[in-house]
Amino acid sequence: MTPKQRIRAAIDHQEPDKLPIDFGSSGITGIHCSVVEKLRDHYKLEKRPVKICEPYQMLGEVEGDLLDAMRIDAQAIFSHGTIFGFPNENWKPWTAPWGQELLVAERFNTTTDNAGNIYIYPEGDTDAPASGRMPKTSYFFDSIERIDPDFDEDELKLEDNLEEFGPMSQEEEAHWTEQAEKWRGCERAITAPLSGTCLGDIALVPAPFLKKPKGVRGVADWYMLSADEPEFLASIFDRQVEIALENMAKVAKIAGDVIDVVVVCGTDFGTQTSLFCGVPQMRDIWLPRYKQINEWIHQNTNWRTFKHSCGAIEPLVETFIDCGFDILNPVQCSADGMAPEGLKAKYGDRITFWGGGVNTQQTLPFGTPEEVRKEVLSRCEIFAPGGGFVFNSIHNVQARTPVENVIAMIDAVHEFNGDK
Amino acid sequence: MNESLNQLTTAIKAGKRKDARAATAAALEAGLPPQSVLDALTEGMNDVGVRFKANTIFVPEVLVAARAMQKSMDLLEPVLIASGIEPEFSIVIGTVEGDLHDIGKNLVMMMLKGANFKVIDLGVNVSAEAFANAVAEHKPDLVALSALLTTTMPAMESIVCDLSRIEPPIKIIVGGAPITPDFADQIGADGYSADAASAVELAQKLCANAQ
Ligand code: B12
Repeated sequence: MTPKQRIRAAIDHQEPDKLPIDFGSSGITGIHCSVVEKLRDHYKLEKRPVKICEPYQMLGEVEGDLLDAMRIDAQAIFSHGTIFGFPNENWKPWTAPWGQELLVAERFNTTTDNAGNIYIYPEGDTDAPASGRMPKTSYFFDSIERIDPDFDEDELKLEDNLEEFGPMSQEEEAHWTEQAEKWRGCERAITAPLSGTCLGDIALVPAPFLKKPKGVRGVADWYMLSADEPEFLASIFDRQVEIALENMAKVAKIAGDVIDVVVVCGTDFGTQTSLFCGVPQMRDIWLPRYKQINEWIHQNTNWRTFKHSCGAIEPLVETFIDCGFDILNPVQCSADGMAPEGLKAKYGDRITFWGGGVNTQQTLPFGTPEEVRKEVLSRCEIFAPGGGFVFNSIHNVQARTPVENVIAMIDAVHEFNGDK
Repeated sequence: MNESLNQLTTAIKAGKRKDARAATAAALEAGLPPQSVLDALTEGMNDVGVRFKANTIFVPEVLVAARAMQKSMDLLEPVLIASGIEPEFSIVIGTVEGDLHDIGKNLVMMMLKGANFKVIDLGVNVSAEAFANAVAEHKPDLVALSALLTTTMPAMESIVCDLSRIEPPIKIIVGGAPITPDFADQIGADGYSADAASAVELAQKLCANAQ
């Protein structure tokens, strides 16, 4: 089997010849740039600065030579614009606060305050108020909430929260065309993000890509909407889906044959111990809209759809299946009610688990390589039978994760595959 | 119990900020003792905490309840101060250096306020030095640290270590998604809890023991 066939078989619940692996095919299955560099060193690859493919979480691009070395089955197409609203193009050097020499996009423009905190700007425009901040001792950015002084919670305007959604630009179309040409015929499965199908992702609410966001842009304010004004939320999503379907049709036309998996939505519905939203509300507001997206995709393309949600979301898995999602990520087994055996037994034949391979809150950062190996082998034994599993850690491999543990993880999957 | 006090408790439970404000105004206008208004408010928040812990309501419902509480407090606080009713205990809270997650920290803070603690919120990305300065300035009964990232757990450890050198000794509680009771023990914190309602019980217990 080619890596592409392997992943497609797994998603379609046929047991592939080997358990497929993903690292780096999306902004939620990636590796922090500091760890990418150490992996490149470990595999004795050409010494060159790591490229930042996702500047918010500072994920490093897992380039072809590293994909080969780690025997990874998935390949990313990234979106044209980054979360800070500038395109990932025209690379320039940048030194991270932890001393690493990196390559970043031309408009990755930063300033540093007296305390050593780093600021980044929407569209790279340093004349606009900063939209992201990396604390001196941190390893990634987070959004700065820029609340519109005229914002009035009693006078919500739909269009204020729709500013970021619109028809695909010519640059984006050109990007898809270029990416389709580049990856057509690739042996690996291609994962691509869709735009505008993320319904209420809290990381996108503060709109770090906009210079002057209006409407509901605070994290707490947004969550309160779902308690206070569910109809308003539903109307935002309706309009979003309408626009997204048109854009999707364009992507399908340009790159439909190239793409295997589309990342539909990264909205987190779970906390460590509970949910952000109960099942009835999920079924009321999210389900019909997700269904519309998934049905369109399944009717018009051969893509498989990918839903990300962190946390203790076991009560929602049945609903995600009803929404028509093919794939669930990151399968946070460390959260309440998310034990792997139960998930596999209850839902394993109806949805594919893409993730869940190792605990990134305990074992991977703090365990020994042998503990990592044992956990990985156990997860593979539970999740792999009958297909429906693509190996990935639970969410991105974080900064400060010992590289020996990452290698122990990869080696354990190869060991499981009989490839050591 | 007076009608407006009932209404206040109900409004807080349901997260109705305008009703909460109106009921507070009515209660104060009717000349009810401010302590009784505060008790009605605490009763509402207490119920919210219990249902949150039991997973029957979720973060959004707690946030709207806390906002309703705040609307009530805006009216009540000056009256409480004027009648010399002050929170018995105070607590300094913040998310540790390098970490910007604050939803959980804010919920803990709101529940503590609802239980009539004085809360000094240092926000996110708070250094050991900033915690120490706040302790010197406010002389709180407790310090509470939140961390959501494995990359900031070491910062939590070093902050606890720095604060443990302060004289007179100050009690420290910790929490956040990746924190476990073992980790809390290991770094020398005085307490850990897994959710906001339990954080209030923990804080009350530690403060009462100290007396
Ligand atoms: C919402 C969220 C975000 C939001 C945060 C918004 C905000 N303003 O806070 C956004 C999108 C911005 C975000 C960003 C990131 N996040 Co985040 N995020 C989450 C998520 C989904 C939920 C956290 C949350 O708010 N829960 C709701 C609250 C109510 O719960 P809580 O925080 O746990 O708090 C409760 C208890 O812990 C306790 N408590 C909390 N603090 C305290 C303090 C004391 C003293 C006490 C007693 C109790 C207590 O009481 C609270 C109420 O009951 C978690 C998933 C998870 N499993 O938790 C990931 C998670 C924490 N994030 C994670 C990561 C890695 C990130 C990023 C680095 C990006 C990334 N994914 O790579 C950035 C970094 C941002 C930064 N610089 O800090 C990882 C951490 C993994 C790890 N190994 O450390 C998690 C676990 C996701 C995952 N599955 O991997 N995130």
